[in-house]
Amino acid sequence: MNQFGVLLKKEWRENLRNYKIFWIPAVFILLGIMEPVSNYFLPQILDSVGNLPEGTVLEFPVPEPEQVMAAIMGQYQLLGLLILVLAYMGTIAGERKSGTATLLYARPLSFSAYFISKWVMAQIIALLSVWLGFLVGYYYTYLLFGSIDIMNLLRFVFTYSLWVLLVISIVLAASAWMPNAGLAAAASLGIIIISQVVDSLLGTYWPISPLKLSVYAASWFENGPDMADFWWSAGLAVVLIAFLLLLGIFISSRKAASTKV
Amino acid sequence: MEESKLLLLLLPVFIIQLGLMIFALVDLIKIPYTNGPKWMWGVIIVVVNIIGPILYFVIGRRNY
Repeated sequence: MNQFGVLLKKEWRENLRNYKIFWIPAVFILLGIMEPVSNYFLPQILDSVGNLPEGTVLEFPVPEPEQVMAAIMGQYQLLGLLILVLAYMGTIAGERKSGTATLLYARPLSFSAYFISKWVMAQIIALLSVWLGFLVGYYYTYLLFGSIDIMNLLRFVFTYSLWVLLVISIVLAASAWMPNAGLAAAASLGIIIISQVVDSLLGTYWPISPLKLSVYAASWFENGPDMADFWWSAGLAVVLIAFLLLLGIFISSRKAASTKV
Repeated sequence: MEESKLLLLLLPVFIIQLGLMIFALVDLIKIPYTNGPKWMWGVIIVVVNIIGPILYFVIGRRNY
């Protein structure tokens, strides 16, 4: 436990010094602001830059506040996940390359404390960013479009948080597995994107899938997901996260020898 | 009135943007070397809105 505390402190200091603790939340907050504002001003924006012929009349339905929150989530699914993957691709692979790992591995190191300290710090920053982004996004949505039932909003945010937990677990396991940061990013993006494409193409045949967590998150705003499907998917996500944790610990101890001096 | 309302709404965006730029520049000055020439990253951080500082943190900064 003591070793874990020391390693966690190291992770904290590292994230503070490379400014990840500042810029990742900043990106999510920016995305959270831009979506409601650009939705609200869409008619004016089209008017001034749309190159529409004189006299065009476009009637835009005003989006529901729920749709705006779901649109923010859509932005996070694209840009947010990309940022998270790129920010954490080097967590372990990069450390092996830079030589920090040599300093660590030369000591009697508990690899579970090592991997879990990284996992915990990455998750804290990722969830903090997503929550802050949704909070600021909701503030703007509330000002411009109206309010949302707070329980549905919380369910939405927590369901999405579970998906973020899974994504970060995939990134860290890939970072432990791959020889360098670039390959780790490619592997985790590949896994996330391909599995999402497969799930959206063939996914109608299996309602239980952790990849559908984002869809289920948005469906809280309508009638809510099918409870059995939702809980099975959430449970499966938790099992996968636990498996990726164990895998990451195992691989990082097995590949310790590949460290460059 | 719409224009001034938009400016007010976007004020936090400008503040965050400025904050990102300052963080990136301070880091650029302190760090011994980056991927690619330092002056180039200085230009990118200042000129490219929002994405510039983020690009610097993701690619330019040698975390490892």
